[in-house]
Amino acid sequence: MLDKLSSSLKDALKKLAGKAVVDREAVEELVRDLQRALIQADVNVRLVQALSQAVKTRSLDEQPPKGMSVREHVLRIVYQELLRLMGSRAEVALGPQKILLAGLQGSGKTTTTAKLARFFQRKGLKAGVICADTFRPGAYDQLSTLCGRVNVPCYGEPGEKAAEGIVERGLAALATSEVILIDTQGRHALEKDLIDEIIRLNQISKADHRWLIIDAALGQQARDQARRFHEAIGIDGVIVTKMDGTAKGGGALSAVSEIQSGIVFIGSGETIDDLERFDPDSFISRLLGMGDLKSLVERAEEAISTEEMDVQGMLRGKFTLRDMYKQLDAVSRMGPLKQIMSMLPLGGADVPSEAIDVTSAKMARYRVIMDSMTAQELDDPNLIGGSRIHRIAKGSGSSPDEVRELLKYYRLMQRALKGMRGGKFNLQRMMRKFSGM
Amino acid sequence: MFDGLREKLRSVREVFGTSIQAASTPPAAEGQGAGAGAAPRTGPGLAERVKILVTDGELVLTEKQIQAPLQELEMVLLENDVALPVTDEILRRVKEDLVGKHRSIGQDPGVVILAALRDAILRVLGEGFDLPGYIRARDRPVKILFTGVNGTGKTTTVAKVGHYLKKLGFSVVIASGDTFRAGALEQIGTHAERLGIKIIQHKAGGDPSAVLFDAVEYAGAHKMDVVLADSAGRFHNRVNLMNQLEKMKRVMKPDLVVYVDEAVAGNDAVVRAEEFEKLVGTDAVILTKADMDMRGGAAISVAHTVGKPIMFLGTGQGYDDLMPFTPDLVVEELLGGAL
Ligand SMILES: Nc1nc2c(ncn2[C@@H]2O[C@H](COP(=O)(O)OP(=O)(O)OP(=O)(O)O)[C@@H](O)[C@H]2O)c(=O)[nH]1
Ligand SMILES: Nc1nc2c(ncn2[C@@H]2O[C@H](COP(=O)(O)OP(=O)(O)OP(=O)(O)O)[C@@H](O)[C@H]2O)c(=O)[nH]1
Ligand SMILES: [Mg+2]
Ligand SMILES: [Mg+2]
Repeated sequence: MLDKLSSSLKDALKKLAGKAVVDREAVEELVRDLQRALIQADVNVRLVQALSQAVKTRSLDEQPPKGMSVREHVLRIVYQELLRLMGSRAEVALGPQKILLAGLQGSGKTTTTAKLARFFQRKGLKAGVICADTFRPGAYDQLSTLCGRVNVPCYGEPGEKAAEGIVERGLAALATSEVILIDTQGRHALEKDLIDEIIRLNQISKADHRWLIIDAALGQQARDQARRFHEAIGIDGVIVTKMDGTAKGGGALSAVSEIQSGIVFIGSGETIDDLERFDPDSFISRLLGMGDLKSLVERAEEAISTEEMDVQGMLRGKFTLRDMYKQLDAVSRMGPLKQIMSMLPLGGADVPSEAIDVTSAKMARYRVIMDSMTAQELDDPNLIGGSRIHRIAKGSGSSPDEVRELLKYYRLMQRALKGMRGGKFNLQRMMRKFSGM
Repeated sequence: MFDGLREKLRSVREVFGTSIQAASTPPAAEGQGAGAGAAPRTGPGLAERVKILVTDGELVLTEKQIQAPLQELEMVLLENDVALPVTDEILRRVKEDLVGKHRSIGQDPGVVILAALRDAILRVLGEGFDLPGYIRARDRPVKILFTGVNGTGKTTTVAKVGHYLKKLGFSVVIASGDTFRAGALEQIGTHAERLGIKIIQHKAGGDPSAVLFDAVEYAGAHKMDVVLADSAGRFHNRVNLMNQLEKMKRVMKPDLVVYVDEAVAGNDAVVRAEEFEKLVGTDAVILTKADMDMRGGAAISVAHTVGKPIMFLGTGQGYDDLMPFTPDLVVEELLGGAL
């Protein structure tokens, strides 16, 4: 379902692909699809509206940089605007500190507390944790089991009713720990008593940092919940958990934009090592379901300088093995075709998946085979019949079947290219993408 | 929990109402014959502006005319976590219900809208699930397996449902089917002890299927009414974990597989609900943490997506915070009193 969505965004982007000047109608359509993509990723609806307005205005007002297509121009603006919303990632000091963890019920606080202890421990710091959850059955067992596995001391008083006292005594007991992490019970914005409790825990612990743990799947609630926590204790970092599922984390993004504090870490699994530093680029790419945007923009720039091919000729249907050789050559310098295609929001138009699902090993193999062909054969593949196939196979140390497979692949590509003719995109641009990039 | 959505829907209804009212009020400039004219109107700007045919005290709504309020309704649904595809579906149905239909002029536009919306949401919500009734009608023990992704409230819900059934006089045994997560045994063990419910547990790290099997055996031997099996949280994209759940299901042969998710989940709720339904099957849904949520859209989304009834809402961390889900009542709560 999400794939469908991101492909609709890709479709909208395709419409922009051939455009030389920014076209209001196309931009509006793109923005509409962008809105849907973001809403489906759980970005706050109000935020989406503000964002799409900004994208629209900037796309139409700003001149695309030289050599950059309209599509790339708009994409880049989308990317920049999202980046701005998200702020930079919050930094982590590698020194003595106390960190208080807070969040909704079941968001992953306890698991993350243990993961963080592990993180600091690996950085050579002496970590200790306090279980200040007096409510959830088994809370102490959970935390102490996790910490016990990595030899991190865990302070807790199962059965005790007041979290404040536990924190006080825990800090004293862990006096020799450099980094102290305080796990708290789950709570939400409407639970006034619990909000009051976290305010007191923050005061008592004199925590250096207060991190909010947010489940990647949290929906439109995220913004308001985050605001309440922020008002209560001043959140200065967010950790987005459960990013190993299929949720896109738009709720967390909305939270971060609301409280103006960066994301510190990403939780990506149930085990203690499943903690990753936050990377804004991959977060945005995932949000939009469109591959790695940052490297797209970078690579797109390099692309413009790569050798030109006989694009016009190809458009007339003249696509020879020689062209394919160049194509494979260009592609092999950039990594698997499939990956590149998925990076291109353009989606490579209607290239059949068999054409894309070629491994890099296979591509290298194809080039070796083509090295054994004559210039004539490369220019006019129709010449290649049974006996030539055998000669080429022998010359390249491959089997006739492999040569036939290559020819089949060539025809597939040729057909795909022909299919693009008369299409609604700018074919020249398309071809350059396809070959040189 | 539906306060927020109800509030918003009320205002949308007003917008709809205004729009319909505007449509049914012939523009003053048109003067005579506006309402009764059987002859087609010819003023060029007029057709554009009025976009409505008024004949013999009836009015026909056009799509254009309700576009603005529909957009507003869309916003409201989205802001309340009704997933995008489900929102599209509701809008389509409301539109279908309104556009092109003849409404008599005297009809209160509010009623028209309300009916369309109630209809659309009711159809999306489907029917509720009467668990006690179901148990009474089945051979004992009735075996129920709880599934869902991490941290949604499965374990707590097993405890709550156990408590609920026990209060109704059913005998219950809990199977401690999460042998994986740290602290899981202690957590459910404590719940069972507090509630005075028999629990079957194995060592941490053991085979969860074996626990379920033992619990079913125990229930059979002791003529218990219900087996409630907890399971470890797992993501639908983890093949091995989903296979394990499949195996648990094969061993236990549950009468019901109950999928537990939280009411505050956004669009992913429909993705994972769909996957769970596909991979292990779902017979009914429980949505937890409805107390956090002034919105309730996930209920609508999930119900629509898996097409399975919602059995309960979890409304807090206490054992009594469990509410049987009755679509009529929910819709009543959403739209009722709005008139
Ligand atoms: N797959 C995955 N599971 C996670 C991640 N973080 C936490 N979990 C799981 O989510 C569930 C809830 O995590 P907890 O750490 O117990 O959450 P909590 O916020 O402490 O819960 P309460 O204390 O009850 O509020 C557990 O099953 C964890 O194993 C993550 O990044 N990925
Ligand atoms: N506010 C609120 N909290 C709830 C509700 N249901 C469960 N919780 C809390 O959510 C947290 C997670 O609940 P669990 O029952 O441990 O969730 P789970 O699905 O069993 O988690 P895993 O087994 O780790 O996947 C606990 O702190 C529960 O008290 C509810 O309806 N409302
Ligand atoms: Mg916890
Ligand atoms: Mg559990």
